[in-house]
Amino acid sequence: MRSAGQLGLAALTALAVLSTGARAQEPYPARPITLVVPFPPGGVADLTARPVAAAMEKVLKSPVGVVNKTGAAGAVGMQFVATSKPDGYTLLLALSSISIIPEADKLFGRPPAFTVDQFAPIALISADPTILVVPADKPWRTAKDFIEDATRRPRQIAFSSSGVYGTLHMAMELFSHAAGIRLRHVPYAGAGPALTAILGGHVDALASGPAVVLPHIKSGKLRPLAGWGAARVAALPDVPTFKELGYPGAEFYIWAGLFAPRDTPPPALAALRASVGAAVGDPDFRAAMDKLETPVAFKQGEEFRKFFEADAKRLAEGVRQVGRVQTQ
Amino acid sequence: MVETLQNLALGFSVALTPGVIFYAFVGCVVGTLVGVLPGIGPLAGISLLLPATFGLDATRAIVMLAGIYYGAMYGGSTTSILMRIPGEAASVMTCIDGYAMARKGRAGAALAIAAVGSYVAGTVSVVALMFLAPPLAAFALRFGPPEYFALLVLGLLVLAYMSGGSMLKALAMAALGLLLGMIGIDQMTGYFRFAYGVVELGDGIGVVPVAVGLFGLAEILATAGLATPPAVIKPKLCELLPSRQEWRQSAWPIGRGTVLGFLIGIIPGSAHIISSFVSYAIERRLSKHPEEFGRGAVAGVAGPESANNSATSGAFVPMLALGVPSGPIPAVMLAAMMVHGVSPGPLLIKQQPELFWGFIASMYVGNVVLLILNLPLVGVFVNLLRVPYPVLYPSILVFCVLGVYAVNGSVVDVWIMLAMGALGYVLRKLDFETAPIVLGVILAPMIEMAFRQSLAMSDGQYAILVTRPIAGTLLAVGGVLALLGLKPLVARGLDWRARLSLAGKGEERL
Repeated sequence: MRSAGQLGLAALTALAVLSTGARAQEPYPARPITLVVPFPPGGVADLTARPVAAAMEKVLKSPVGVVNKTGAAGAVGMQFVATSKPDGYTLLLALSSISIIPEADKLFGRPPAFTVDQFAPIALISADPTILVVPADKPWRTAKDFIEDATRRPRQIAFSSSGVYGTLHMAMELFSHAAGIRLRHVPYAGAGPALTAILGGHVDALASGPAVVLPHIKSGKLRPLAGWGAARVAALPDVPTFKELGYPGAEFYIWAGLFAPRDTPPPALAALRASVGAAVGDPDFRAAMDKLETPVAFKQGEEFRKFFEADAKRLAEGVRQVGRVQTQ
Repeated sequence: MVETLQNLALGFSVALTPGVIFYAFVGCVVGTLVGVLPGIGPLAGISLLLPATFGLDATRAIVMLAGIYYGAMYGGSTTSILMRIPGEAASVMTCIDGYAMARKGRAGAALAIAAVGSYVAGTVSVVALMFLAPPLAAFALRFGPPEYFALLVLGLLVLAYMSGGSMLKALAMAALGLLLGMIGIDQMTGYFRFAYGVVELGDGIGVVPVAVGLFGLAEILATAGLATPPAVIKPKLCELLPSRQEWRQSAWPIGRGTVLGFLIGIIPGSAHIISSFVSYAIERRLSKHPEEFGRGAVAGVAGPESANNSATSGAFVPMLALGVPSGPIPAVMLAAMMVHGVSPGPLLIKQQPELFWGFIASMYVGNVVLLILNLPLVGVFVNLLRVPYPVLYPSILVFCVLGVYAVNGSVVDVWIMLAMGALGYVLRKLDFETAPIVLGVILAPMIEMAFRQSLAMSDGQYAILVTRPIAGTLLAVGGVLALLGLKPLVARGLDWRARLSLAGKGEERL
């Protein structure tokens, strides 16, 4: 009996090996792919993910479903993908905050929800530099005015952000460190309330993605002073970059990129990179991104890895510069 | 005025095209469903359907999403009244008197009054939205953290009027709610508080699982624990409509709820939930018979249900006039506009008159649709009460679990709901009221955030809370209210609480 049982077990094992062998050889993708967005529907990540998924479907000839797995400023969804099976069927669309969250965890000495090395970068889809805006009724005409005034009155000029250690906070922090000024930080619960705060005149400055503030710049409520990008924003050709102004440390992008769990098989990664490469050229995708006024910035493979690592390094330094926040 | 009417005519020419009417209708139907199902509220409903609108044109998409939002406010009252399960967070207060009315055989009346109140509030508030949007939006923006803090303090004072029983017990429950509301990431420093390594708790305890657990689940458990099951209510057709007296008693609460809801709704923040709490408290304060509240006072249904509807129109004011998200739901709708290439902002009304006025007109149409949809449904829904409890309650339980899970796709939320159900059962046995817990959970994170943001703005100067005109005025009003609340302690007169305890003597509470 015992030997029969053993035989059965051996047969089962063999079958299992055979079937996984067959799996490994089956062409990728053979099943629907899930693209996890760790932020709620309607946000930048979600609005980027949906057209990307639709365009990838056309190339991969396999359904790509978008799932919003939200919570803890994105940590819940990112952790979910970091620990999911690395088979190429669970992907993540992450924003810059993917590099900030583990760094903030480290700062507080808590077990990190995930670490950046748990992911294999696939491709960068968009990278929008933030721009510095102030209410139009404030006296600062240029970034120079702003910096001079902030130097004269340390901790008197207040800015709103999307939340402590959030993207908009980090952008401002990198700038104030580069310019050697100290500002007063008023965190809000998200980029929307942060914009409301500056429109209501409750704070004096905001770092924001260009698309969100353009209508308010056009209507004359806000004045742009400078941008965080390597180059000027196309829609605001007269607004200089901090780089031009002599603050190369103030470089920041709100970017969106695709990731897979680290141990995803290389053939699947290659297929995914190729599909994103084709997807960003898709006219429907281009049209969708134009409507969001978000320029496409495709980078893949080694190029994206370099960008991602440089960005993560800047942000890690930023988080350490902020340190643990002291409040009243 | 003439110009507004011309614009409105333009709006109706858009809103009455078959395509737009169709999507307004779809939005209203989905909204009613989303409202009826416990757990899933308008935010989850709109988020789930947002991708489906990507193929539509901007006007249709916005009209449909808005329909879901205000449709949910109609539907939310249904399960609150029939089963004491809040269909969505803004219907928590309706559970109390609506369900009490249902136990007295007046379920039909409660549902009809909720529907008519919602209709009146919905329609009147659109008129206000139409005429007052730009100036009101400018005013709403003046609400920064100090003003919001002052408003929330007023909201806390309202607690004193929320409970009919012992003040001490009500305050204890409110304190428990405030403590539960402290769980989650500290928004000012990034610390995790009381999360015990559970990443999902980083966002804090959601109001939906708390409300569904404390009200719905606790009710099911309490009923299951009765020695003899309560008699199944068999509503008669002639009892479906409110009596003349019930209409009279709801007229003023509907009017007050409409104005109050709209004013609270325009303020950026998640204030629309609070509007129903404040309306309930005001109705109780103004009522000649406050002791009836909690036992089926029709004003306790009419006021909050009107307030939550008119707050939705209020929330559209900053969104349409300035392109500013006044809460999570308008934020999703703004995103929907951007997807369609409409850039929301102060210039929207001028640049996209068809969209703005079509949207306004569609809300008039949508409210009529909802009234026509909901009044006949009263007869259908009331028949749910005929279902025997052994069948009805397990099914409700399934819907509660599904609904709560669906909001965030989180099992942690389901556990929170179950724990709150157990807690609610124990508290009921001990004769505590649970509504103050829900209000505490809602208020705690908001009030803390506003307070600390104010201090961040002023670099630690507490004076900012009283020197800004709106904040100072609100706090002064709060101070007066607090003093009035102390009066009975000093005067020792027979106020309504004393009358209530006399009336309640010897009477077993359900």
